[in-house]
Amino acid sequence: MLNTPFLLALLSLAVPAPTVAPQAEPKRENASADDASADVERIWNARNVEHLYNRAGFGARPAEVEYAQRQRPVAFVKQLLEGFAPTSDPLFIDIPAMPARRDFADRDEFEKEQNRFRAEERRVLTSFAGWWFDQMVEAKHPLQERMVIFWHGYFTSSTRDVKRTAAMIAQNELFRRHALGNFSELVHAIVRDPAMLEYLDNNENRRDRPNENLARELMELFTLGEGNYTEADIKEGARALTGWRTTDDKTGSYFQPRNHDAGVKTILGQTARFDAAGFVDLLLAQPACSRWVARKLIVHFEGVEPDEARLAEYASFLVDKRWEIKPLLTKLFLDPRFYRDAVRAERISSPVEYLVGATRRLGISVPPQILWLGAGQLGQRLFDPPSVKGWEGGEAWITTSTLLGRGNMAGMLIGVVKLEDVLREDPLEVEPEGEMMGGDMQEGGEMTDDPPSDARARDAKRAGKRKVDLGAEMSGLQRLTSAMYFPRINLTARMQRAKVAGDMQIVDTLADELLPVPLSEPSRAALLAFLRAERGALSLEDGRLLTAGVKSEDVLRRLAHLILSLPEAQLG
Amino acid sequence: MQRSQLDRRTLLAAAGLAGVTVLCTRAHGSVKLSPALAAPGEARTLVLLQLSGGNDGLDTVVPFGDDAYRRARPTLGLRQSEILALDDYRGFHGALVQVRKHYDAGRVALVEGVGYPEPIRSHFRSYDVWHTADIRGRDAGDGWVGRLCDAAFPDQQNPNLVVHIGGNVPYALHSTSHPPASFVNPRAYRWAGGESETEAYEQAGGMQPERDEKQPKKRAGESSLDFLRRVLADGQSSSEQVRRAVAAYRTPIAYPANDALAQSLADVAALVNGGIGSRVISVEMGGFDTHTDERNRHDQLMRALDAALGPFLDDLGRSAAGRNTLVLMFSEFGRRVAENGARGTDHGVAGPMFAFGHGIKGGRYGVHPSLEKLDDGDLVHTTDFRSVYATAIERCFDLKSEKVLGAKYPLIAFA
Repeated sequence: MLNTPFLLALLSLAVPAPTVAPQAEPKRENASADDASADVERIWNARNVEHLYNRAGFGARPAEVEYAQRQRPVAFVKQLLEGFAPTSDPLFIDIPAMPARRDFADRDEFEKEQNRFRAEERRVLTSFAGWWFDQMVEAKHPLQERMVIFWHGYFTSSTRDVKRTAAMIAQNELFRRHALGNFSELVHAIVRDPAMLEYLDNNENRRDRPNENLARELMELFTLGEGNYTEADIKEGARALTGWRTTDDKTGSYFQPRNHDAGVKTILGQTARFDAAGFVDLLLAQPACSRWVARKLIVHFEGVEPDEARLAEYASFLVDKRWEIKPLLTKLFLDPRFYRDAVRAERISSPVEYLVGATRRLGISVPPQILWLGAGQLGQRLFDPPSVKGWEGGEAWITTSTLLGRGNMAGMLIGVVKLEDVLREDPLEVEPEGEMMGGDMQEGGEMTDDPPSDARARDAKRAGKRKVDLGAEMSGLQRLTSAMYFPRINLTARMQRAKVAGDMQIVDTLADELLPVPLSEPSRAALLAFLRAERGALSLEDGRLLTAGVKSEDVLRRLAHLILSLPEAQLG
Repeated sequence: MQRSQLDRRTLLAAAGLAGVTVLCTRAHGSVKLSPALAAPGEARTLVLLQLSGGNDGLDTVVPFGDDAYRRARPTLGLRQSEILALDDYRGFHGALVQVRKHYDAGRVALVEGVGYPEPIRSHFRSYDVWHTADIRGRDAGDGWVGRLCDAAFPDQQNPNLVVHIGGNVPYALHSTSHPPASFVNPRAYRWAGGESETEAYEQAGGMQPERDEKQPKKRAGESSLDFLRRVLADGQSSSEQVRRAVAAYRTPIAYPANDALAQSLADVAALVNGGIGSRVISVEMGGFDTHTDERNRHDQLMRALDAALGPFLDDLGRSAAGRNTLVLMFSEFGRRVAENGARGTDHGVAGPMFAFGHGIKGGRYGVHPSLEKLDDGDLVHTTDFRSVYATAIERCFDLKSEKVLGAKYPLIAFA
């Protein structure tokens, strides 16, 4: 009893133009931008190039740093904004149709079909998430992917509430289309986005019974920030948004005139027959709006608050450029202040940035679902932000559990930590079926099937006494890694290629390649002490470490694990 | 002296709660009149046990004395022989043998008809209400335990103050100032390097300037690198404390070996007794979303729950720290009164909530919701869950509960 699926063509991306000529002359925006880029040209060294890759992308491999250094800053930043290479083909996704009760005479059959539908939805979301992570690791247009994550945290919706994969994917596509586009167009689009309408209850926002949720967040989180509107503005704004709703299956949205309140509203001191578009335009006209957006972008990329003068400068620039994001980011990346010490050292990377960055710097190939589930375990579950405020970010990423968890994930990627060893248990879990089962999205369903229950019981016996409920996400992650992950990595060859052999050279080279920021002296001392002790244990002289075959490789991998567990590895 | 005053107050509050005073039904004619949770100043631990998926309250505490029960549950209804009657109206599910034993010993407080106004039937959104103690859910900010810690421990930064044992940390524990330590298995709460790597790892984290225990977040002027070093060092000591507490814990009580909840509760007992300053510990048991085949599934769940709780409560009785522990058991909602066509039940609203502990006044509290006067087929709650939270907040943490909950809720006399 298969539903007729409909095909959703996704991600009809404009393919970026082929790589621009490195020596292309910058467009002369104005004198001060030109001065600034001349200043950046003077500090265009490896450290700053890597800093830019860390913030505008997902970290750099050594060859990428060399490549960027050969470009002029203006030309390189332009490539960053346009993408380095055409991105992968858009993913074609076969979205299952939602079963309707009326099509089933029998309730049991209907429920079975519903369960099948939910499982299929999870499977589709998992494949899509995998595709997304592939884009990040491939980094053909890393800034675009960074911006998709940024908008996802800015205009949050969560699969946990939306409960429709098609809507979540369509929203992601919207973010991708507008990632580096025009903020005004994006806000106008987001108040009609099916996932957003569902997430912020606009289906409930009707003429006779307004629901304020969307109006409130539109002002508080999307455009103005708290303190720039009143509760009365929210009430009136909600009336302007009435009538916009999703289709029953949540894959589309439409305007329903009979539920729209067409009366006169007074919002932020203006009185008119505001509709959704008029309300958004009014918000965009507020001075608070450009400040809010400029601040969010600067804080995201710099990791620290801008001072007042700089905020005012960027906010008015954004208005001058009519809400275009590209000129703003070009200005930011060519601003010498973006490269000051307080900015370079201070930003704590998100779990996604950490894992994708580590994958890229290690040069390994990882099934992308592992990265998705892993980032979720570390506190950043894409498609499921913790609240309407998105991810708090910064130091909130780091707790004792997530910090040691990051190190363990890195060890797993390198192959020196097996998840089952960390857990030392079998992931036995009695998973019920139905809505809660395995959460809404956590299962790596299509990758592995649950073993039958008697096999589980047998495994439990072999593993020992304890039966531990890992939660669906961790179980899925463990199944994935044990079934399909073998790190293809050869650090010995890498060191030989770099022509290094001595302890200090090895520590410095590996740390330079694997860390987003320079190694601190205390950490360097710790790594050196470790390497010396390990080499000593193998009875090898300094300079001979790489001669011990598999033992050398083991030491190097454990060193790499240590490096990626360092405080320095969490920055970037 | 003070205790008897306290007692009077709580009894009055309970009386005011629902217009009835329900006295405890102790089997032993205990002469203790006051709650035995430690006096203010002594550490008490709050344990939260979440039954995820929506536990069927009517199949946990069965209102067999009401004909409407049999009418609503023609295939699911329990026979009299499958019920441990508490009186001539209600009884525990027959599998809850050990819970019944503890109930008779005055260690179980049953609060009936617990819910909240305008109930939500979505798992996630209803969790959010329970976890934030706020109808707005996550829009209200941190979880209620996070807010509790802000009020009770504003200056404390013990990384083990709040602990979650399990996969996904419940939003109740979400806090920017007091993030919980969390792990599936305490033995695995560690950075997984070998011995020599661990030495280097700790060396790299041990280079931060003098530490100040009272500074919970990144200090003004502290670099991110120093902050990360500090958390690394905290993580190493937190992990070591947890693993030591678990490794050192010896108990003659036998917990079922092959049950996740029982093993987690054994770990809870170890942490409670480990002297590592954990004040809130959270655990979860899943599988309660019994839309189909509820008879078998809910029986199994009740058996597993009983098999885990029984020894855990025995174990807590063995030490002062254990006796000073209050366990709250809740679910995001109950299920509908009438069974569905698939021999299961769908998402409902109100249900019973349980408090366990050696220092509580066991018995029955609240009012069982009517099975006749339903709201669209659902029970109507008679006690707001925040009354139970408020009681725990005041009795375990010596706080005015409105500081955490934002409003006053009548206390319940179980603690």
